[in-house]
Order: sequence, then structure tokens, then C-alpha cells
Amino acid sequence: MTAPTTQTMGGTGSSAVPSAGLAAHQVSLSFGRQSVLDRVDLHLAPGETVGLRGPSGSGKSTLARVLGLLHTPDAGHVTFDGRPVVGARHRLPAAIRTRVAILFQSPRAATDPRLSLADIVAEPLRATGTGKDEARAQAAELAELVGLTPDLLTRRPHAVSDGQLQRACLARALVHRPAYLLCDEATAMLDASTQAHLAGVITDYQRQHHAAVLLITHDPALMTRWATRVVDLPPPAGS
Amino acid sequence: MAAAVLTTAIAACLLAPLLWPLDQSAVDLAGTRLAPSWAHLAGTDELGRDVAHRSLYGLRVSLLVGAVAALVATVIGGLVGAVAGTVGGRVDRVLMRIVDTIAALPHLLLGIFIVAMLRPSLGAVILSIGLTHWLSTARIVRSELLSLRTRPFIDAAVSGGASRIRVLTRHLLPHVLPRLALATTLMVPHAVWHETALSFLGLGLPPHLASIGNMINDGQRSLLTGAWWSSIVPGLVLVAVTLALAVLTDRWRDRLDPRVRAELNL
Amino acid sequence: MTTTVLSATTVTVDGPQHALLKVEGLSVRFRLGDATVHAVTDLHLTLHPGELLAVVGESGCGKSVLAHALLGLLPGNAVVTGRAHLRPPTGDPVDLVGCGERHLARAVRGRAVGLVPQSPATALTPVRTGRRLLEETLRAHGHTRRDAPVVADRIAADVGLDPNDLDRYPHELSGGMAQRLATALALAPDPPLLLADEPTTGLDRPLVDHTLDLLRRRCDGGAAVLLITHDLAAARRVADTVAVMYASRIVEHRPTAALFDAPAHPYTAGLLDALPDRAFRPVAGHPPMLTDLPAGCAFAPRCDRATDTCHTPPALGRDGAGRVACHHPTSTGARA
Repeated sequence: MTAPTTQTMGGTGSSAVPSAGLAAHQVSLSFGRQSVLDRVDLHLAPGETVGLRGPSGSGKSTLARVLGLLHTPDAGHVTFDGRPVVGARHRLPAAIRTRVAILFQSPRAATDPRLSLADIVAEPLRATGTGKDEARAQAAELAELVGLTPDLLTRRPHAVSDGQLQRACLARALVHRPAYLLCDEATAMLDASTQAHLAGVITDYQRQHHAAVLLITHDPALMTRWATRVVDLPPPAGS
Repeated sequence: MAAAVLTTAIAACLLAPLLWPLDQSAVDLAGTRLAPSWAHLAGTDELGRDVAHRSLYGLRVSLLVGAVAALVATVIGGLVGAVAGTVGGRVDRVLMRIVDTIAALPHLLLGIFIVAMLRPSLGAVILSIGLTHWLSTARIVRSELLSLRTRPFIDAAVSGGASRIRVLTRHLLPHVLPRLALATTLMVPHAVWHETALSFLGLGLPPHLASIGNMINDGQRSLLTGAWWSSIVPGLVLVAVTLALAVLTDRWRDRLDPRVRAELNL
Repeated sequence: MTTTVLSATTVTVDGPQHALLKVEGLSVRFRLGDATVHAVTDLHLTLHPGELLAVVGESGCGKSVLAHALLGLLPGNAVVTGRAHLRPPTGDPVDLVGCGERHLARAVRGRAVGLVPQSPATALTPVRTGRRLLEETLRAHGHTRRDAPVVADRIAADVGLDPNDLDRYPHELSGGMAQRLATALALAPDPPLLLADEPTTGLDRPLVDHTLDLLRRRCDGGAAVLLITHDLAAARRVADTVAVMYASRIVEHRPTAALFDAPAHPYTAGLLDALPDRAFRPVAGHPPMLTDLPAGCAFAPRCDRATDTCHTPPALGRDGAGRVACHHPTSTGARA
């Protein structure tokens, strides 16, 4: 059962330089008795855009959370530039957590409804000790990059559209200049124009910083257009 | 209506010592159990003390005790709930079993037990109420924190490098605090009733002090002689004020509820 | 004599008799402090039985507000003007805007207009199994106790739900199954008009296609469907006609193939160019704020074809699917 999994998942990824990149090695995870990930391998090399495909319930989002250092796998491990990562969330130093950013499907669930868009974008900088004015300035710069006008920055999430809020989430994700960006159906709720704009911003960022992107999407056209390599995630055995 | 009742009650309580000073131990044995009249709006009791005047002072004591006790309960409950909700795991399980155990005991009985261990005093009554009323607050805070913790915006904060403390102070507490304030206010009427019950049973404040419970307790001896006012009037004052408080907090809760608010904002 | 017959024929072709839904001059405003949000402006639409109309546009263009207005589900600060005549084949005609909440609740929502909701997880009662929800709906709409379970199984099979899954509670269902159950509940009373508000958000491609095909089959069976979506591929797959909304107005409403092959409005052209299988290039600039719309064409500030004429608002036809609100439609579009 291991053999086909490794083949589908490993494919071209295993040929990349093993030391650089973000990788899952034989990662397994289950919620209760429900197995979600079963000995999954995935390698993200700097600069590439890996499309992750699979039916509903095949654990794509869970794999993104494991790679995003938000969830510890039951078995297997994650390596970051060749070094194994032990634990997840607060067990890891902020300096490592901020190297990997996640963009979620629903920007509304992913933002604190009490904060203004400017504060949402600046928050990761403030949380890691950047001064208020410096954080504001950097946030404003990124906001412009993702296409948020200054008047939108003063608003709170309920007063902007999903598309505008997801732009803020992208600005927040890029604020620490991460080496890896994981997009979990990040444009599924957005119109074609906003999707194309955000994809353009991410591609430019990737080119400048040689960052890697994990792209999870149900849209075959988007996958074909954007991903440099596509990986299929089979449903876990025994489910 | 509710707001008017409460404002009047609070204003009267604050101004009482200035406008209508009361000598707690004064008695007038010549004028006992007088029916309500212009001189004594709610009549007098078995020791000739003015019932309306003493009800006002009783309310003062009851509201003070209620508010302070609710605050004590909120601090205890908030701390327990916050620890259970953020640390989780075994600590959470142990704390919640303790909460369940205490909740299984009748809390008036527990309150009586606590005052019985101490000397009857304001402090003892407040402690007795505080120690028996923090359970619901702890549960509210814990469940609120648990549901917040799994929200993607917390994930985003963790991923953005926020420390545990930062997540707690910047993202979790600001969401919980309004709920906590609401829980405190909702608890005040409960605490007032609890204080009244203790005093009625003779375990509350020293008997010569005017408190609603003491007055109802004293008044019940007069009921048989037909002097209904000495028990009924303080009782009515208590019902009116606590109802007004409950109605107002209920309205506040409707405004505060984020789900309702989100729908209003579309 | 002849003239009478002719005019009668004209009326039956596109007149109100045969239209199931006729929206006339619908506008929705929200009061927010001292600002007014223009969510829907002077919207005209006609929907016939058997027709599937897709309303597309970016989030915040007003398309969802349109659906909510037709169901009377707007919040208290909304001001709705205009009319929306619904003429169900059985029962009395009704103006959805003016008839009042009681009538909407009793005779319209669920019965005459079914709603396929956006987030089924919150739309389903958590304490009842799918079967109980479905059978209750069926019995409320005239099915007998004996007949309801059979019909429930049939509808479940129709939407692609295993009858065994009907006996689960909503929280035990996956997102896809919950969506199918919510769809089954909307279809159960057999409403002549179905409103589908972003019914495919969060579903994977096979399930998106399944849900869309289900709506299409309803149409072929004589119902009318108003599909609200941001997903252009979804609209293209099943819609007869597509209406593009921009900044609270319909800017183009045309038959699906014509619109996708030769968009007439520059905004439609830009939106199609943004598709990943086309140029994957966003529309330049930003949409205007709905609290502060320009006096003329709302798209003019972003439009490379704009001239001084665009300071006056372009008119849109009231009827049919060959409407473009643009002073300078693209040449191919003008021909189509």
C-alpha cells in the first residue's frame, strides 16, 4: 500500500535538492478513528508552484496545516530546509513559523472581526516586535501591492467584500517575506478578476524572493495555468 | 421603564445618606406596626421603624453585596475558565470535574456552610456568594476560548509569529471580555437574591442592620398580626429592582451577541 | 380582429402572462450612518419557466442582495423599491417586494420560491436527521404520511444522496452531502422558481458539476432558476442567459454562448480575460464604492474605451437577453 502512495506523491519531487525546501515525509494523521493522511510525502522546492489535487476528504487542507506548522502529524515528520521540525504551533520558535504562511479559503473566518484591515496586515509584524510606525508603513506598502486603497484599510472586515478581505489576508501572509506560501483554496470564493490579480501578486513575489507555493484548488483551469507541477493526493487507505 | 426603575433605585441609594440619614439602631416603641400613611409611606415594623426608609437602606446593602459578590465570582470564574480554556488537556479535565462537583451541590447549602465557618459580616456574605456563583462564568469563559482557539484567525496569528501571550491578550481576551462583563451583570440579581436568602435565614448580616433579607425575616412575625407591609414592601422593592436589572442586561446581551450584530451588518 | 389576435400573440410571447418572474425597476439601498449603500439599482429582469438565468459579478456587486431581496430576507436598514411580480402556475400572482413578510413566509418562501443556500452547514437544523427534515417538508406541502418516505427516497436519489445517508444528522454529513441535502430540501416542494445563491462554493469539481446539472434538469422539467454565482465556468455550463452585474447594475445580459464568445461590455470582456484558461489578466483598477458611485457609467474610470459620453449613464434595455449598457460596446459584441 505504501508503494503506490510514494509513487504518486514522490513523482518528480524527490528528484529536487533534498536540503532546500519544505517537505512532508511519510506523514500520517487521523482524527479519532478516521484516517485523513496515510504516509504522505510531499516536497516543495524553492521557486516552484506545486498544485495539490485530490477528491474532497482526501486531506489536502490537513496536509497544508501540517506543512504550515499548525498541526503535529501522528507519524512521519516535516523537514524545513533539510532539518526536521519537531512539534508545531507554539512549540516552534516564531522565527521558523513565520517562514511558512497560509492563505485560507474563507478570509472572513481567517481575520479577527475586531481589527481594522490596516491592523490585520500589520499584526504579524507587531507580534514579532516591530515598532508601531514601522509596521504601519510596511503594511501600507503591502496593501498597495495587493490592491487595497487607503480608505479600505481603515475599515473592519464586515465593511468590505470577500475579495477585498482576501487581499488583506494575502498582504498579511507576505508581511514576513515567507519562503513558503500555502494557498488552501484561497481564490475559490473570489471572482475571476480578483483571482487573477492575487495570482499575479503571488507570482511576482515568488519571482523576487524565490519562494515556493503550494496551490490547492478544485479548478482544473487554474491548476493548469498556475502550477509548475501537479501532485495527486489519493484518498487515505481504509477510509 | 426598566431603566427608569433602576436609575431611581441607584440614585436613591447613592443619595440616601445625604437626604435621609438613618440611625440603624433607633427604635420607636410608641409607634409599632403602624399602617402605611403620609408620615410612614410603607408603615412601621414591630419596633416602630419606618419600613420605606429601611427598605431603601436594605436595598443599598443588597446591591452593594450583590455587585461586589458578582465581581468576586467573575474573577474566580474568569481565572478558572481562562486556565482551563487555554492550557487544555489534563488541567482542563481536572478543573471541569471540580466545577461539575461543586455544581452538583445545592449552592444555598454550600453558601450557608461557608458563612457558618466565618463570623456573620458583610465580608462573609460576599465570600459565600462569590465562592458559590463562579461556576457558570468559568464554563462560559472556557467554552468561548475553546471555540475561539480553533478559528482560522487564531491559526493565522500563530503562523504570523504571535506568542501565546500575544494570542491571548490580542485575540482571545478582547472577544471574551464583553461576554464576561455581561455574565457579571447577569449575576448581580442572583447574588442579591442569595444575600437576601442568607439574611432571611438569619445567617447574613447582623440583625440590627437594615438589609432586605433581615427585614423580610423580621416582618414575618408581624404578618400574623395583619401588618403585611413590613415584609411585603421590602420584598416588592427587591423584585422590582432585580427584574429591572435582568431586563436591561437581557437587552444588552441582544445587542452584544456577535451573531445578531453580524446579521445586522449583513 | 386581426390586430387583436396579433397583439394577443405578442403579449403571450414576452408579456407578463407567461413570464414566471418579472422584476421591474428593483432598487435596494442600505442606510449606514450618514452613507447610503447602492446595492441594487434599477434592475429589470424577466424569467420564463424552463429558463436558467445566471447572475455573475465580483463579490460586493449586489448579486447576493438581489437574491435576498426577492425572498424578503434583507436586514432592517434596507430600503427596497420597485416590483417583482411572481406568477406561479398554481396560486395567485404576488409582488415579492410589496406583499409583506406574513404572506412571504406563508405562501412564497419554500412553496413558490425555493432557496438553495450558500452554506448548507448553517442552513440545516442540527437536531433532525435528513430524512425527518425532508419528510416534514414534503408533508407540509401536501404529501401524505405514507407517501412522503417514498418521495423522500426518490428526491434523495435525484440529488445524488444515498438514501442511507438520509438517516444521518447534518453534522455527520460531509460538506458535499450537506449541500445535496440542502438542495433536496429546496427541491422537495417542487417550487416553480429556484434561487441558487452561490450553491457551489467550497465543493470540488465533480460535485459542482453535479449540483449545476441538477439545477439544469429542474429547468428542463419546467421550473425557472436564478443562479447567483461568481464562478463564470459554472454559469457557462448550465445557463441559458447570463446577466453581468457591476456596481449594483446589470451591465450586460445576453445568451450564454454569445456572451462568452463575444462579450459586448468592456467589463464583461475584462472579466472573461481574467479567467485562468484565457489571458489570466485582472481588470485594471478598482470597483467603485457602493456608497459613492459615479454619476455616469460606473465602469468608465477603469475602461480604456471611455470617452466624454460616458459621463452620462448608459441605458440598458428592459427586457430580453440582448441588452448591453455601454456607449461604446466592443465591435464583435455589437454584431452579436
